Amino acid sequence: MNMLSFKPLTIIALITSLLISCTREINVDYGVNDVAIYETKAQKHKAKNEAEYIAILYTNLTQEAISPNLLYQTQNVMYSIGDQNVAKEMLLSNYFNSQNLKIPSDVEMRLNVEQFVIATYKRFLLRLPSEAEKQWFIRYIENNSNVTVEMVYTAFAASDEYGFY
Amino acid sequence: MRSNMKRKEFIKKSAITLGGALVGPYILPSGRLFARTGAEKAAHVVMVMFAGGVRQQESVLGRYLEDSQGVSGAAGNIMPNLFTGNAPTKKVVYGLDIPGEPKGTDPIPRIVSSPLASQGLVFNEVTAQSAGHYVGLNTLITGSRGIAQGLKVRPKSPTVFEYLRKHRGFAATDCWFLGNGIGNSTPLLNSSDNLDYGLDYGANMFIPPVTFGSFGRTVLSNAKPYSNLELEPMYNMKSFLDQSFALEKSLQTTIKNTDEERTRVKAFIRNTYTKQSLGQIAYPPSGSGGDAVNVAYAGEILKEFKPRMLALNLSQVDGCHSNFTGYLRSLHRADHIVGWLWEFIQSIPEMKDNTIIIVAPECGRNLNPNPILDENDWLAFDHSDRNAMRVWSVMVGKNVPQLSVGDEDNPVGRLTDIVPTIADIFGVYEEVMGSGYIDPLAMSQFLRV
Repeated sequence: MNMLSFKPLTIIALITSLLISCTREINVDYGVNDVAIYETKAQKHKAKNEAEYIAILYTNLTQEAISPNLLYQTQNVMYSIGDQNVAKEMLLSNYFNSQNLKIPSDVEMRLNVEQFVIATYKRFLLRLPSEAEKQWFIRYIENNSNVTVEMVYTAFAASDEYGFY
Repeated sequence: MRSNMKRKEFIKKSAITLGGALVGPYILPSGRLFARTGAEKAAHVVMVMFAGGVRQQESVLGRYLEDSQGVSGAAGNIMPNLFTGNAPTKKVVYGLDIPGEPKGTDPIPRIVSSPLASQGLVFNEVTAQSAGHYVGLNTLITGSRGIAQGLKVRPKSPTVFEYLRKHRGFAATDCWFLGNGIGNSTPLLNSSDNLDYGLDYGANMFIPPVTFGSFGRTVLSNAKPYSNLELEPMYNMKSFLDQSFALEKSLQTTIKNTDEERTRVKAFIRNTYTKQSLGQIAYPPSGSGGDAVNVAYAGEILKEFKPRMLALNLSQVDGCHSNFTGYLRSLHRADHIVGWLWEFIQSIPEMKDNTIIIVAPECGRNLNPNPILDENDWLAFDHSDRNAMRVWSVMVGKNVPQLSVGDEDNPVGRLTDIVPTIADIFGVYEEVMGSGYIDPLAMSQFLRV
């Protein structure tokens, strides 16, 4: 037998299986637009622990992961200060005194304040600002020429909301 | 006649208004109207939580090696700044090391002019409410027996700071807690999580060996000094964000200073790093280790903030679990740094003659030793039996009577008395005792005598 009688059968079986298994893809369009989903402040009720706060903040500002050694040291220092706002503000001003930050310049902020405010809310609070929040910040930045990116970032990173997720 | 009546009525109303203004209630930060119930005995209180489990036998009773190691004729007082009595003459190992001589043969000279016990009120035999450190610290700081110990757990009952801030209206920077380590939830002793009091009334806190140690310098010493012009927008924007988030009290995780206080605390931290690098921090001359660091930075806090209430803990004598000789040395040095602290307070004009210092161990140590021998073949002691619930207290300063109360056979007072005593000093005794959170058997030491 049978090599000769086996070959046609195999070919027929292959062709049949190919025909059966291939189906045309149907694209279904429900008419719904893609939407980016952000957190809402009302859902934030879990406090970040020191390690979470420090690691997230460091990565946020430098776009790099913090080393385990520096994380451990920073965690201990944060825990050793009673007023966490003092600790956070000191830590932030220490970061802002370092060279490896990746943050927008003051000129970039002032070129499009609205965009900066929205981006800052998303960057720190992982949500969009409400219209009132957006307008308050736009007005505050526009009316106070001495406000810098560093000041805005410090306020956000030291805010109560940034301590929660 | 009619005009005469009006005049009388006018005088009467004026008198009532004037009287009301003079003796009227104080408006406290809590928003409550509250009249102070007593006169203040002193403007400042410093409480030393001493020092990690101290046996009565080697401290207030002055028995040195007689009771612990059975060495006859080796009694004597190794705490000359706190207690009266001659130093031991036999087997002296707790002092300074002199080259060429056996270790510790030179006792550290007394710093204070006369022992604090002879200047003030001593309770020689006080009942502690626990044989453990953390519950003991809780007891000293809350006036009630601690009910929980776990990882990062705040006291359940209000701390003395919260009582004073709520009922006496002290600011956050008026109240300080300095811990000597971050273990055992010690950093959380600056406030309870009690919903009637809690973090709104908590004290400022540092753990100096960490905050001002190598970790602190690495992490914080490069902080920028912002001007008020720079700080104002930051605080305004932060305040807006915080109002928008409206954090519930039950979710609060930190005590809060006002913006001005926060600026001051940050400036203090920066200045302290600078002073450190210039070698300008004053240390107890013969102190060493975490306890001496804690007391040195307590001195810096006292100088800068002149707090109304400062509490600090010492713990190095806890080495007694495995090294009795080390325990004796630590006990002698803990006494030395308390003497130094009291003298330091006298060097601050605003606090001199207007401060009361209270010193009390958080727990004692066992009657019988464990089997661990040290370099001198002396046995070590843990803290878990009835003897570990025997402690003492010493109080010295303005308006404190000179008295010695109780003895070994006649215990008087409880460790939970300390908070009521502090409340009494600041004139809010009734409010604090009426809070419902104080040990019902506790009372002010001023009343006990």
